[in-house]
Amino acid sequence: MPSGPNFAHGSEAELARIFDFYQVRWVYEPRTFPILWNLDGVVVESFSPDFYLPDFELYLELTTLKQTLVRKKNRKLRRLRELYPDLRIKLFYAKDFKALLLKYGRIDVAASLTGLEGQARPGEPLPARPGEPLPARPSAQALALRAERLAATARAAAVPVPTGEIPATTIPAPTATSRVARGRGSRRRRNRRLAASLPARPA
Amino acid sequence: MDRARHPDLVNDVDEVLITEEQIRAKVAELGAMLSRDYEGRTVVLVSVLKGSLPFMADLMRAISIPAQIDLMEVSSYGGTATETSGLVRILKDLSSSIDGRDVLIVEDIIDTGLTLNYLLRYLRGKNPRSLRICALLDKPARRLVEISIDYRGFTIPDKFVVGYGLDYGELYRNLPFIAVLKPEVYSAS
Repeated sequence: MPSGPNFAHGSEAELARIFDFYQVRWVYEPRTFPILWNLDGVVVESFSPDFYLPDFELYLELTTLKQTLVRKKNRKLRRLRELYPDLRIKLFYAKDFKALLLKYGRIDVAASLTGLEGQARPGEPLPARPGEPLPARPSAQALALRAERLAATARAAAVPVPTGEIPATTIPAPTATSRVARGRGSRRRRNRRLAASLPARPA
Repeated sequence: MDRARHPDLVNDVDEVLITEEQIRAKVAELGAMLSRDYEGRTVVLVSVLKGSLPFMADLMRAISIPAQIDLMEVSSYGGTATETSGLVRILKDLSSSIDGRDVLIVEDIIDTGLTLNYLLRYLRGKNPRSLRICALLDKPARRLVEISIDYRGFTIPDKFVVGYGLDYGELYRNLPFIAVLKPEVYSAS
């Protein structure tokens, strides 16, 4: 399987596979659009569409949350369209995605690719193949054992093991091109950080 | 198709979206338009298996100008080709050259536009004089890639339809109308 971006959600990975199959070029989360500024002109809200299809100059946002939970996304999309009227963007809902899977005879994997079920967990890759179950979250004991083994390996190699909290300055700031497996919550936090680094709204 | 329930052509239908009579009238209308637009030329009708077969069979008989036909088959996502190459493949290519010819793609339905987008690029590479699209059904709500449809039969709502060539699990193609299946048909799969 070729290496690509780490998708935040299984539905995004499946859609990318469909695009690949039909040889449609795509880019994952290529741009962040500021959509709200505070009185000081600092960006406080932004929107990063999931896909860009360069051949069609079309942005695509895929949301597989329940229809009742997409109100916030709809509002952001309306705002985006107001601010960037020339931007072509399409919102693909859970029902659209399920219809796509139905069309391709893959409705059996719909449940595992929509909603919270299909969401990537921090540090855990999405299944390599569509329909494959997500890996089970490691238990606390397994994590403790893993940490113990790592510490033992580090001791053996005479590498100092950091103790206590890692200073914030040592954590690299996310960039627009960073691709890390993350949940929607962390994506929002990342967007806020990104938005803060964006230029102020032109007067 | 692996399914617990036995398919029932009559009772599995929730709603008839387009009747047999409506299809017949529309096909005649499209045939008249094509006969007028391609007057003095010989058009090559290219149909994509399997869903377009009934539409192709009816449309070619509604055209009053010289017409040739050809058939293509393209692998679909989710089929066996997904497991092997991961790319769309031409399972059956054209039988004759379309170099310098007037080609009309005859499609049953256009929803995402992904297959047709691929097909258009493929056929353009064969240097036809003209390349147009005739689709019986257009479901714009599901469109992922923009496709310009030259001849459109019906614009349909965002519903999964079967009949008149369209299938669910290779069944229901032989219904003479366009229908929506009952949701339990899918959930039983």
